[in-house]
Amino acid sequence: MSSTMNRRIANLCTAGVLRYFALVFTRVRKYREYLKTKDGWKQFSIGILTEDGSVSQSIWFSDGKATVNNTAKGADTKLIIQDTGVLKQLAVLPPNEVLNLILKNRMRISGNAANMELFNLLISVLMKDRQIAQMRAQAEERKTSGQAMVSGNSTNTHSKRGMTFLKAESTDPGVKYLNDDPYLSAWSLEDFPRLQKFLKIHHEVRPAICIERAQILTDFFRSEGFETQTDGTPWIPEIRQGRAFRHLMEQKKPIIRKNDLLAGTTTSKEIGVPLYPDGAGVMLWGELLTVHERVLNPYQPLSEQEIRALNQDIFPFWSHRNFREYVRDVYHEPLGQQLDERCAATFLWKTVALSHTVLDYPKLLRLGLRGILREIDEEIAGGNTSIQKKQYLEAMKDTCQGMITYAHHLAEEARKEAKTETDPKRKEELLHIAETAAHSPEHPARTLDEAVQAIWTHWIGVHMENTNAGFSLGRMDQWLQPYFERDMSLLNTDTERKAYLAHVIELIGCFYLRCQDHLPMIPDIGNYLFGGSSSDQAITLGGVTTEGEDAVNDMTYIFLKVTEILSMRDPNVNARYHPQKNSLTYLKRLCEVNVHTTSTPSIHNDEAVMRSLQGHGYTQEDIRNWAATGCVEPTLSGKHMGHTNCMMFNMVSALEMAMYNGYHPLMRWHLGPKTGEAGDLRTFEDFLNAFFTQLQYQADLACEFNHQLGEAHAVLRPTPFMSTLMDGCIRSGKDAVKGGAVYNTSGTACIGLADVVDSLLAVKSLVYDRKLYRLEEITEAAGQNFEGYETMRRIILTETPRFGSGNTEAVNMANRVTSFVHDCFRRHTNYRGGPYTTGFWSMSNHVAFGSLTGALPSGRLAYQPFTPGLTPEANASRNLLDNLKDVAALDPVNLDNNIAFNVKVNPSPMDSHETTVEHLASYVRAYSKLGGMQMQFNVVSSDTMRAAMADPEQYRNLMVRISGYNAYFTELNRDLQLELIRRADYKI
Amino acid sequence: MNIPLITDIRGNCLDDGPGIRTIIFFKGCTLHCIWCHNPETYSSSPELSVSRDDCIRCGSCAPVCPQGAISPLHPEITDREKCNLCFQCTGHCPSKARRRVGIPMTVEEVLDICLSDKAFYDVSGGGVTFSGGEPGMYPEWTGQLARQLKDNGISVYMETAGCIPYREVRKHLLPYLSGIYMDIKLIDPELHKRYCGRDNQEILGNFRHFLEDSEELGYEFLPRTPLIPGITDTEDNLRQIAAFYHTNGVTRTQLLPYNPTWYPKAEKLGIRINEELSGLQQPQSIEHLQKCRDIFEEAGIPCI
Repeated sequence: MSSTMNRRIANLCTAGVLRYFALVFTRVRKYREYLKTKDGWKQFSIGILTEDGSVSQSIWFSDGKATVNNTAKGADTKLIIQDTGVLKQLAVLPPNEVLNLILKNRMRISGNAANMELFNLLISVLMKDRQIAQMRAQAEERKTSGQAMVSGNSTNTHSKRGMTFLKAESTDPGVKYLNDDPYLSAWSLEDFPRLQKFLKIHHEVRPAICIERAQILTDFFRSEGFETQTDGTPWIPEIRQGRAFRHLMEQKKPIIRKNDLLAGTTTSKEIGVPLYPDGAGVMLWGELLTVHERVLNPYQPLSEQEIRALNQDIFPFWSHRNFREYVRDVYHEPLGQQLDERCAATFLWKTVALSHTVLDYPKLLRLGLRGILREIDEEIAGGNTSIQKKQYLEAMKDTCQGMITYAHHLAEEARKEAKTETDPKRKEELLHIAETAAHSPEHPARTLDEAVQAIWTHWIGVHMENTNAGFSLGRMDQWLQPYFERDMSLLNTDTERKAYLAHVIELIGCFYLRCQDHLPMIPDIGNYLFGGSSSDQAITLGGVTTEGEDAVNDMTYIFLKVTEILSMRDPNVNARYHPQKNSLTYLKRLCEVNVHTTSTPSIHNDEAVMRSLQGHGYTQEDIRNWAATGCVEPTLSGKHMGHTNCMMFNMVSALEMAMYNGYHPLMRWHLGPKTGEAGDLRTFEDFLNAFFTQLQYQADLACEFNHQLGEAHAVLRPTPFMSTLMDGCIRSGKDAVKGGAVYNTSGTACIGLADVVDSLLAVKSLVYDRKLYRLEEITEAAGQNFEGYETMRRIILTETPRFGSGNTEAVNMANRVTSFVHDCFRRHTNYRGGPYTTGFWSMSNHVAFGSLTGALPSGRLAYQPFTPGLTPEANASRNLLDNLKDVAALDPVNLDNNIAFNVKVNPSPMDSHETTVEHLASYVRAYSKLGGMQMQFNVVSSDTMRAAMADPEQYRNLMVRISGYNAYFTELNRDLQLELIRRADYKI
Repeated sequence: MNIPLITDIRGNCLDDGPGIRTIIFFKGCTLHCIWCHNPETYSSSPELSVSRDDCIRCGSCAPVCPQGAISPLHPEITDREKCNLCFQCTGHCPSKARRRVGIPMTVEEVLDICLSDKAFYDVSGGGVTFSGGEPGMYPEWTGQLARQLKDNGISVYMETAGCIPYREVRKHLLPYLSGIYMDIKLIDPELHKRYCGRDNQEILGNFRHFLEDSEELGYEFLPRTPLIPGITDTEDNLRQIAAFYHTNGVTRTQLLPYNPTWYPKAEKLGIRINEELSGLQQPQSIEHLQKCRDIFEEAGIPCI
């Protein structure tokens, strides 16, 4: 049969399938139900076409009927498929592999994405049984292939590993009450049965979607209007959001988890996944019927009632009222958005949230919400306040009132439960909780209990207003220490003090576990892009005070103890280590906790991070008050809207476009500027400039999209509640998402540094220095994934300079690239009027972007992961010190959104725990001395990871650091698991 | 001056002296122990190493061999009878499966490499360790290097089998050392001759010298015994060693468990593994190691 014939048949078949689809949804009542919304019938159309136009069909849903049109033209949302071959695969593949076709750019979507999700739901209405059978088969396959990772039975050395606790050799000046042993070596998890129980829940309870927030807000806006008020006047977005937040907090169910020391929950579920349909919530639409069966991170099944609410009420309301669709509608699907939605070059987190910041919690504790309300009133009363400003300040007041009401509801609930509680001890606890919740956060905190409850209640509010992505808690050891000292000072005996200390460990432990009561909503495609991430609520410990003195205190060590015994992925603990000011005792403790937990805390050289923050016009005091945000990124606590993860930026796609004169092979797209065919690039500088030109172009597109998304946030979801604790917003009367904060930046994460540097140097060395090959030959070999070019690949791998091998040329090149990238982003100003910062960490996108990138001149094969963060390639050197020296030699000025440098070490079983800790401490000290900025250890062997793949049930608590965040290994997708295993395993 | 070849310089070593260290492996040895972990250091001349695993069978090496020692069909094999060690092939091997073992280096070159890790020595109390082979075969050269390292504030340790010219070592090298780890393998001279290639009279004599000097010069002296199954780890031998230590006033020792991971290295060099060892592929049991340790502990000599 001729291929023309084939294509014609494909077009007819597509039409046939769509006609059947249309018939079923028009005629069969139970299916037709899915087309209903609260406002009437769904109105949307989906076009299906191939790139060559041979297939072009569409299906139109309107007034409860579906019809098919023999052209895709005019459809709201189009599915554009590479060719008829891919179209055939679509018919047979399980849903997650269909997603993979999108990732691999075998097809793409143009137009409203919510429509496509809805269409996916309709497909799953018909195909649910088959989809579930396919998912179960995949789960089975994952199990079998995992078991094949080890031969025979392996013993679980991870769970059996003994915990030896070191005692501190000295104490720090800021430690007031733990002088006996700041390491608290006498305490272990066994001393805290309450925490043990919560930890079990954390590991064993499957998360459930919670629609509470989405439902209350949707109801509110349906009745009060979203764009316009009921009387037809347009809403001012800040005022609307203020009212809505107040309503939400008034309506939110007050829950005190059984046996908890803290009142309040972010969701109505034990472990909940709150929905933010104003962000990326609608991405779940297509999975409503199957989300409990998917292979990676399945949620609990949704009830019929929840499915109906989401499908008929919530999602239809938000299908255009979210950040991504706002930009699509207003800016007509701009190029930056098109690029972003092709997945291979950028991922803008601003489509999900404008978050990633640290609030002014000392102010909350000092003033309470009443004090903040007073401050706002004074600002209103102050002279020449404009009407807009007044209106905004009123919106802020609304949010505080809502928060106070919620806190009172918690107090009432605690009192109510105390009445019926039979256990006298718990009854007393509940009454105490009631008192605490009634007082905090409304009034200034007086005790540590009140301070922790105040932060927790407020934290719930933050996550009701804004998406749970990367909000960070800041310098909690600094901020809670005064309350700890005050409580302690009232105690008279050692016994009392010991009992109080136990209480504090338990309280902070409860706080950690509360922070894990919510998880980000990950649509299945996200499981392949961002494996195993929680919402990354960073806590920062240690470092120096705003005066520049040693900040380590009692609470620092208490937080470390809790981190150690719970060994949880989140809160993401980051430790500041100032080599001049902090003690070796403190550093050793950081290393010890790292050994015990296998991957946390991440360690920052305070001097280098603070050096990176010079040049932004920040005051020294503010710089000294930096705290890690999300993964590792610095935020100047309480006055800096830094949205430090506004985008994940693939630098390697720019390199590919430089290799192919602006053409991106996987996207099959002549996107970039014409920077010259390989044969025309006569000098290495020509080649480098081609790369830089492509990089600048890609950054320009991404920043433009980021700017448009910034506007979307200003229109759709200003955040007056968060802004009350962001210095500058009350004074300026401007919301944090509109630039009201004192400092405004946008932080990028640039991915693939080592891959880029190694590739550039391979080209320089072989093409331009030694003239062994022509550039065309190298791009040709890379295009063939080095098949037939094995000799060339070996020469690349063994004879060209590598970043991380102790090679000066490589370090210079890395500095040149980071400096260019930094300048490239600094040319742009964000929507809030601030500059961009540049980071070199990758979450898990080094795997995702890698899987969408062809072979590289560095010798890396097609679709393999990039290196995580800016970690050198695994074979760069067999000497770990070469890695450490090269990374330390990067100029921090270009790394002002921090770095993630992974070091996987495997301690010798012959060495004592103490020796291992000493080795780690030596690495950190020398690395810091050489100017290194950040490093994070994974103290786990590849063998243990293989064993965990084979027997995931036994290794649920095996924690690993991906790039900046922690995850449980067994929850990760296969590519990510294998990437972790292949990382250089340095025996120490 | 006797100028050594270097077989390897390995950074970030944690087991050959205190702290984080760089180890320099010198080529050539006065003994020829059948279990030697570093068989590439038996001979002080350069050698050719060919790795079957790394070879991609591209055949680039065969045409450049002037001796015709490489078959184009099986480039992973070298006819060692024909090979005259000209090393033409190594420069043409893209995967570095063919390597010259034993590189001449200047004191300055080695010093530069060592200095690049100084920050790590400083924080960990580490430094540089001379190993091999037998670094004591080259007292003048190693002495120059040790002196320069010491001038740069870097501690130097030496691992030796002790069969070395004492007077020259004393003169050129000892003043710059912070530590000596000396092997005592077998006490019985006959057995020593059989397994290590010569008797141990000189070794035991030097042992006393180095021990005495350690007090005068203030370096750390630690005698060590590699536990080779059935050869050095016999009860007889270990008791004899313990007695020897006792007589000489040694206060502590270290036992090194057997580790058969060097077999593939020998194969790459075309060195045959002694029949007495070829069956020993398993590490020793923890119980057995404890028994060995007990022998010394009973004699009042703790094992570190």
